[in-house]
Amino acid sequence: MPPCIRPSNVSSSIASCSSIRPRSIPQPARAARDFSQSSSRQITKRRRQFYQWLNGPGRALKEPLPGSTNYLGAYDRFGNLIRADNRYLTGRKKKEEAEEGEDEAASKSGQEADETDMTERRLDEAAENEDKKQEELKLPPESKEDLRPFPGNKYFQSQPVLSEDLREAIYQAMVDPVSPMSLPAASVHFGVSNERIGAVYRLKHMEKEWIAKGKTLAIPYRQAVMDMLPKTPYVSDKNKRPIPHEPINDLIVHPATRQQLFVPVAESRVFTRVDAGKAFDNNLLPADERIPHPEMVQVERDTLSGMSAAERFERAKERLLTQIKEKTEKEEAAKEAEKAALTRVPRRRWDFVIQNVSVESVGKNGRDHRGVGWRYGLPHEDRKKGQVKIPTSVEA
Amino acid sequence: MVLRIRLARFGKKHSPFYNIVVAHARTARNSRPLEVLGTYDPIPKPPRPGDTHGRPWKDIKLDLDRARYWVGVGAQPSDTAWRLLSMVGILEPQYRVSQIQGKVVKADSAAKSIIPPTATPAATPSNA
Repeated sequence: MPPCIRPSNVSSSIASCSSIRPRSIPQPARAARDFSQSSSRQITKRRRQFYQWLNGPGRALKEPLPGSTNYLGAYDRFGNLIRADNRYLTGRKKKEEAEEGEDEAASKSGQEADETDMTERRLDEAAENEDKKQEELKLPPESKEDLRPFPGNKYFQSQPVLSEDLREAIYQAMVDPVSPMSLPAASVHFGVSNERIGAVYRLKHMEKEWIAKGKTLAIPYRQAVMDMLPKTPYVSDKNKRPIPHEPINDLIVHPATRQQLFVPVAESRVFTRVDAGKAFDNNLLPADERIPHPEMVQVERDTLSGMSAAERFERAKERLLTQIKEKTEKEEAAKEAEKAALTRVPRRRWDFVIQNVSVESVGKNGRDHRGVGWRYGLPHEDRKKGQVKIPTSVEA
Repeated sequence: MVLRIRLARFGKKHSPFYNIVVAHARTARNSRPLEVLGTYDPIPKPPRPGDTHGRPWKDIKLDLDRARYWVGVGAQPSDTAWRLLSMVGILEPQYRVSQIQGKVVKADSAAKSIIPPTATPAATPSNA
């Protein structure tokens, strides 16, 4: 009978044992499927090698490593965890032995009721020693090589995701009742891109709503997935800087700039980045304004011009205030314009909202798609291939 | 021929949608009209997220100038079209709730006056 190894033990035993020692977990080497018509009864060399690897060096990858990622790149060809130091290995060994002892004790206590007290005492001791063991069992942090799922492709690295604490911190900073952080401010502070901050906010908001409604969350699943991924941790210490998650001020490639342009310019002419933007497209903003955080460039310029920290702070604040003011004014103007275009007629059960349109919008032949009303003599194409019916924006 | 401002039903089953059209009175409902003045979506939409009062609403799109013009040259709105046009003040409302109620009361009292009072004295009509 094969040795019965608990699944939690498997991963732990691998790191310590050298794979040269043959361990045979008999994998069911199926010669052929029931439905298969082909006569592949003989075990090929490749198949044998595959199962050899699966039972030898590859066994460590079957179960996740607790508190760490478990990628193929972190192991050498004999299935040894490269970054595991002696302390970790000895800790592992101790834990295994202790667990085996516990197993024996548990089996004994099943037979003899007298020994239950003993096992309980032992469990208490184990709980006391838990902290020490946790410290011993902690793996050193992953290096770049350890984050390679495909050792053949050294440029592919598993990228970190936002940890649960960090996401919660971002949301709490943005909904803070005293001084809520704006989206760009949160992006700069936490080192997370604007888009991701927006996504975190929306999803967290939804999560809170679900919790309030009493919906069930798939927390064990989330936990399991998060345990297997590299994470950007949250630095709760206010005096320390948060660990940046990703570069936040990368220039987004505008489709208009994908073409190659040769623009002859007179030497006497001053050709700036604004002109370069216009050379691609008349409506294209210069790169300085298209980046996600132009204000960071301004701050850097102030630094280079030799301003003091207080002065820089003052100027940044001023810029931010004017920006916010302009934005709110613009929004209000747009709202006013919309209100003026719409007539609201309140009735008993609902309002009638009347929008003034122009019949000219259908064009001369009456077929322009911008025209008002259902089209005459044109098929309704909602069943046609490629019609997107999923809403592409969220009204919130 | 008489010109009418009326509704032409489009949309699918159970999801009506109307074009507000100017057409000759005797043409078919969905035939090509003289002009499409606008649209009327009779399905009430849920209140918008920013709406503080949170009232459901129905969407009407209408070219007000053209509607005024067609009414001015003698196009006759149907009852429903009249109701829609009266909302923006192009026409006087054809029916008012108080008016209808008054009519009902009048008819009621007239009916009662026909029946000769037998046992109880005639009930005084309530004023609306």
